[in-house]
Amino acid sequence: MNQIRTWHPFVGPFDPCPPITRKAYLVPPNLFIPYQPPNWPQFSPAEALKRGTLWPALYSPYESRMLEGRSEGQ
Amino acid sequence: MSAAKKPDEAYDQLLTELQQLDFVLVELTLYLDTHPYDMQAVQQFNQLAQRRRQVAQVYESRYGPLLQFGHSYSRYPWDWANTPWPWQV
Repeated sequence: MNQIRTWHPFVGPFDPCPPITRKAYLVPPNLFIPYQPPNWPQFSPAEALKRGTLWPALYSPYESRMLEGRSEGQ
Repeated sequence: MSAAKKPDEAYDQLLTELQQLDFVLVELTLYLDTHPYDMQAVQQFNQLAQRRRQVAQVYESRYGPLLQFGHSYSRYPWDWANTPWPWQV
């Protein structure tokens, strides 16, 4: 499932700045898992430390959208 | 105070392994808080706790105590204050 959701904010006609037409937010997978089932597949300890979770199903990547936002604003 | 011997590669490996084991133990702790009857997870937790103890013992015998106030043994001479300190590696 794609964890990024987007919405299009209202753009006022007198906005002095270039409008941001698309805003994004992240919905992490734990929101959709009310109770974790037992015996889920696991990452190796090294992988778990790197990704910040022991279970692949709960992994939520963080990718900076700073640059993307800037190019959109220009 | 004498400068500590420059840590070798095994130092990094041991610390990394400790960090990885500690992280998995944290994850399993949180999981077991809500799943106290998951026998497999309890077994995994105990195995990892044992492994962590072994790794910590190897680390402490080579590089000095990880904990203070009697939770780790000290070598002679007393080397608690020797660098590198955790925030220096």
